Amino acid sequence: MNRILWKIRNSLAFKVIVSTATISLVVVWVTGSALNSRLADGIKQVNQNSAVIEARSTIFTAEYQLLFAQNENDQQIQKIIDDVVSSATTFTSSENAREVVFLSTPGNTSDKNYETASNALLPSTIPQSLRKNVQASVTPVSQYTQMKYAEVQNIPGFAVGQKITIPNAGEYEMYLVFSLVNEKETLDLISRSLLIASILLLFFITLITWLVVRQVLKPVRNAAQIATEFTAGDFRKRMEVTSQDEISILGHAFNEMAESIEKQIARLENLSRVQQRFVSDVSHELRTPLTTLRMASEVINSSKTSFDTTIARSAELLVAQLDRFEKLLEDLLEISRFDAEVAQLETSDFDIVALAKRCVDDLALVAKQRKTTIYVNSKEPAIFLRADIRRVERILRNLLSNAIDHAEENQINVNIEVSLDDVAVSVRDFGIGLDENSLLRVFDRFWRADPSRARTRGGTGLGLSIALEDARLHNGELEAWGRPGRGAHFVLTLPRKENTSIHSRLISLKPEDFVP
Amino acid sequence: MTLVMVVDDDQDLAEMLGIVLNDAGIDVDLVSRGDEALDAFREKAPDLILLDVMLPGIDGVEVCRLIRAQSMVPIIMLTAKGETEDVVRGLEAGADDYIVKPFRHASELVARVRTRLRRTNTDVSGIITIGDLKIDVQAHQLLRAGKQIQLTRLEFDLLVALAREPGRVFTRDALLSEVWGYAHSTDTRLVNVHIQRLRSKIERDPENPEIVITIRGVGYKAGVLVGS
Repeated sequence: MNRILWKIRNSLAFKVIVSTATISLVVVWVTGSALNSRLADGIKQVNQNSAVIEARSTIFTAEYQLLFAQNENDQQIQKIIDDVVSSATTFTSSENAREVVFLSTPGNTSDKNYETASNALLPSTIPQSLRKNVQASVTPVSQYTQMKYAEVQNIPGFAVGQKITIPNAGEYEMYLVFSLVNEKETLDLISRSLLIASILLLFFITLITWLVVRQVLKPVRNAAQIATEFTAGDFRKRMEVTSQDEISILGHAFNEMAESIEKQIARLENLSRVQQRFVSDVSHELRTPLTTLRMASEVINSSKTSFDTTIARSAELLVAQLDRFEKLLEDLLEISRFDAEVAQLETSDFDIVALAKRCVDDLALVAKQRKTTIYVNSKEPAIFLRADIRRVERILRNLLSNAIDHAEENQINVNIEVSLDDVAVSVRDFGIGLDENSLLRVFDRFWRADPSRARTRGGTGLGLSIALEDARLHNGELEAWGRPGRGAHFVLTLPRKENTSIHSRLISLKPEDFVP
Repeated sequence: MTLVMVVDDDQDLAEMLGIVLNDAGIDVDLVSRGDEALDAFREKAPDLILLDVMLPGIDGVEVCRLIRAQSMVPIIMLTAKGETEDVVRGLEAGADDYIVKPFRHASELVARVRTRLRRTNTDVSGIITIGDLKIDVQAHQLLRAGKQIQLTRLEFDLLVALAREPGRVFTRDALLSEVWGYAHSTDTRLVNVHIQRLRSKIERDPENPEIVITIRGVGYKAGVLVGS
């Protein structure tokens, strides 16, 4: 039952077929019954009319014969009656039986008795109501009845009666009773035929509906298929339009829409190309003077010992700020490449444990200046993965620099875990930490946890945003955890193979050492 | 005195490069257009060329290709973009190395130039035989069946580095430090492109190399060695 409901809800074809079949059933039922009763009425009417006409002529003939027998003796009269009976009746109580009954009208005082019935039809066949009507009328009166014989009872019949006068014997009633067995059979045949016809009709209607629905649905299903493929990103997909019907209108409409979407996408792609071009040009235009500036500042800086202190310090600051400017430019260009979605992975196989150790070594001096130490912990001596080493290195450097910046002279732990599919690197510091609001924004561009806090290492404010983008470019994930005053925990999870997703989180974001 | 030709359309940068290199005791010849570079090269015969990618006249990559077609002089590309495409195009056109603008330090540029000018492997003497190749390290010559094969100095250094330590597998990082003089660089493209170029010159079938063999996931090693 549930299955059927599900089908009705989900299959247009099934829905249409079920509703068509139900409506057809009602229509066929109503028209069939109406037809059946009209036919029955018609047949009954025709039979009734012919019975009445036949009866009238038979009764008239009997009346006529008896009128001419006024002066005959009783035997002659009896003979006339017998003749009337035998000529008007059939021999047996067959399907077409026609019986004649003479009954003496109540109140007839004559001592003679001519009451008779053909084929031993019982007089109770004639209902009392009919007899009363006949006695009260001068014209023939008719009524449906059940024909009763001694051995067979209740054969449907139709009785027509009229008063008749038998010479020397007074008032009598003459009845003709027609068997309706044939008529009943005809009617039964008609209803049976109608029933069979209805069933066939229903079957064919359902079949035709199914064929029509299929014919209509096939292009609709095709259209749905093409629309799905289009949605999946194949923007060149078009519907085939071969006919001139509504489906072709749908096809044209769809194709026009697809055309416009494709154009729009091409326009956006073009915009992105223009943007990329612009970024590339800006990069070139900015970098050349920056190179000159840097070299000039270095030449000046290298001979700073011959300057007085303020000029020497200025030269130092010039070099340092040019460094920062260059880093900022690089980060901005990288961000714009992510935004233009032109950032690409250049993958190779490398050992992430070795890479992490190298990053830590490179930053050891800075860490020492900030009175912190970085410990690298990995169960495996070497863990290989296929990824863009430049980007992974940048992620690690950004996480480590960030940790050093916020470690508050506490140690920093780097933990590396590996499974068959994934590798995870966590960087845990025990410094100022992050509150809930900061956690939401920690990867935002140019965001600072505490604007009043001086940035001592001259970070660009883009490091963590770029790290997140780098991780996502690898189908990996970079997540942050923190508690104010209890330090922060950044977990990087990367798939070990190219073009795969991460299967599990190897390091829980909430650090294991944390006790609330 | 050593002469370096600087091809850059930015006058100020070229002049600055001149100052820095002069300070290091290197003579500099400045050229500002790509289409003038080839004539200037023929005339001056510099020991090394610093070549910008974006140049008026002819593109720097094209200049590199033209010069490489007639000389094995060391070429270092100056790329402003640091984009993969430019770097690879430059290397494939025959550049030995590339420096991304802006350079970290002027000294880095000087060091790089010096590395390319230096005669490496001076400690190795005699002739190394690798497969059917004879390497005369001192004379800087590579011979196959008595016929000389032209290699750039960098390609020659690369081959000697591999051939002098038979059986040792060199990681790309190791080659970068040994041949290019990088302390630690992770740019493996430099190695890959030059290995391809070297193979195209010395291998009988570069698709199935016999002399410079790839060890998947690690690096490269020299192939069949017969004596030294």
